Amino acid sequence: MATSENISSMRPMTAIRGWLASQRNFQRLQQVIIFIIMVVGAIVMIAPFEWMLATSFSRSANIAMPRIPTFWPPDPSFFNYRVAITNLPLVRYYFNSVIVTALSTLGYLFFSSLTGYAFAKGRFIGKSFLFIILLTTLMIPFEIRMIPMYQLMRQLHLSDSYAALILPFISGGFGTFLMRQYISAIPDELIDAARVDGANEWTIYARIVLPLCGPALAALTVLSALWRWNDVLWPLLVISDRDLYTITFGLAIAGRSQGIFTGVALATSAIAILPIMILYLFLQRYIIRGIMLTGLKG
Amino acid sequence: MLRKLRKSLIWYLFVAPTFILFGLFVAYPTLETFRLSFFQEVATRQEFVGALHYLRLLSNQVFLAALLNTAFLGILFLMIIIPLGFVMASLLNNLRVWPNLFKAIYFLPQITSTVAVALVFSYVFQPNWGLVNGLLRQLGVDPLPLWLAEPRYVLTGSRAAVTILAVWVALGYYMLIFQAGLQAVPAELYDAAVVDGAGPLQTWWLITLPSMRPTFVFLYITGTIEAMSRFSDLWMLGGPAGTPARSLQTIVMYIYQTAFESNDFNLASTAAVILFVVVLLLTLINFRSFLQREFSSQSGV
Repeated sequence: MATSENISSMRPMTAIRGWLASQRNFQRLQQVIIFIIMVVGAIVMIAPFEWMLATSFSRSANIAMPRIPTFWPPDPSFFNYRVAITNLPLVRYYFNSVIVTALSTLGYLFFSSLTGYAFAKGRFIGKSFLFIILLTTLMIPFEIRMIPMYQLMRQLHLSDSYAALILPFISGGFGTFLMRQYISAIPDELIDAARVDGANEWTIYARIVLPLCGPALAALTVLSALWRWNDVLWPLLVISDRDLYTITFGLAIAGRSQGIFTGVALATSAIAILPIMILYLFLQRYIIRGIMLTGLKG
Repeated sequence: MLRKLRKSLIWYLFVAPTFILFGLFVAYPTLETFRLSFFQEVATRQEFVGALHYLRLLSNQVFLAALLNTAFLGILFLMIIIPLGFVMASLLNNLRVWPNLFKAIYFLPQITSTVAVALVFSYVFQPNWGLVNGLLRQLGVDPLPLWLAEPRYVLTGSRAAVTILAVWVALGYYMLIFQAGLQAVPAELYDAAVVDGAGPLQTWWLITLPSMRPTFVFLYITGTIEAMSRFSDLWMLGGPAGTPARSLQTIVMYIYQTAFESNDFNLASTAAVILFVVVLLLTLINFRSFLQREFSSQSGV
């Protein structure tokens, strides 16, 4: 009796085992399981953004939030966005962010590649000593030097200026190191040939080396742009003039202030987040490649 | 000699701007931080006080709590993100449909500013109507957790909430770096495993995992450094004091508060020096214990 029961209950199991024994079926099942896990993860990634959007378009969100979260506004309206734009000079903030990010990134690319070229291909006295100094600067985090940097900015009367947000970041140990590594791989013959033709070092840098550095420059652009755009600690120290707030910093100050309404706060967040996300959709491939090349986070 | 120097001149011009900026914004501020930590402002003069601030800090409960808290949050974060990132990257690496779409989606929080994400999560974790508790209520959970309003060491307190936030933000980055490592595992190793009759799970555990050692080390070391200097998200959620009950205060927040709210630049600089020493020691210890045998410029990523 017991054995016959055992055998009959075994049958579906053996059937499944037989089905799985086929390599194709096994792989199909594996793909479905992985796909489901990835979809669940993707929902977790997107849900907070979607909820933010739904709430930001709901007028009643400022008065009473629904006890059951909704992913579609029950009373769609642009009210919160209008309030957000009238409350804060968000266009001005964006403008500041673009100026600060663009100028510091351009400087970062220029000085990193120029000095990187000298370290990769140049011959000068004290080169290895200077290179060791460069590597040492990589070990010193911003947080450790921020207090004297703040005092320096005050002494130079640069607090509350674009210069304060840009100058300290137009050169960097990491950028210079990366460019040096990248330019080292360019064959010497190429550079020597140009020298024989009478080109000076500046021409070689601008005409030959730079055009060959596309991927490295793209990676550094991504990193520098993400760092500058998202920074909040440095503006917190050197910027008090509201006209100079970046979008990230302006959002931080508005969000930290007490008594801001939920709908308006989330609309302001959406205004700060969405344009960057749309940009990311277009540049996604370069951004991901840049992060992979450097291994660094934005 | 003179000719050689003249030939060198152009190269000095190429490195000069970078090193002038380093001097101004790296070397000088770092040395000044050290100097400030041994001085005390009396009236308008700076007076040498030796190790006084160090002794003050090492008996300062608030500072020690911030130090411990930074370490606790960092360890908790790394203990979750490293295994999770590795498992998710391994799965995604085997997926044939839309792998790049998923990669892009998981990376979304990483390009969003920390400040914006933290602001959104302060509402996501709102106890009465936030997204998380709203869903938990649907599932019949009662009483609902307090999340960011609960400073104690519990599984649904403020520290848990900010760890969930950090994992949610960082997952895409960790997956990306793990995937780069996965693709660098030599294919011959897998062929050999198939010949030996190993199943997929066995192969993953016995071949993939050990081959990924350099990637694990890279993420562990950079993750440690980053965790020690955590600031933006926690400042956004809890202010410089890491409210509630300083449960979210990190060392950098303590430095900021001491310097810019208590106006004690000397004590803040001392805390910065201690942070520097801690980060340096942790990095050295990690290097020594993990990288004795293997480290080539290729191995990390």
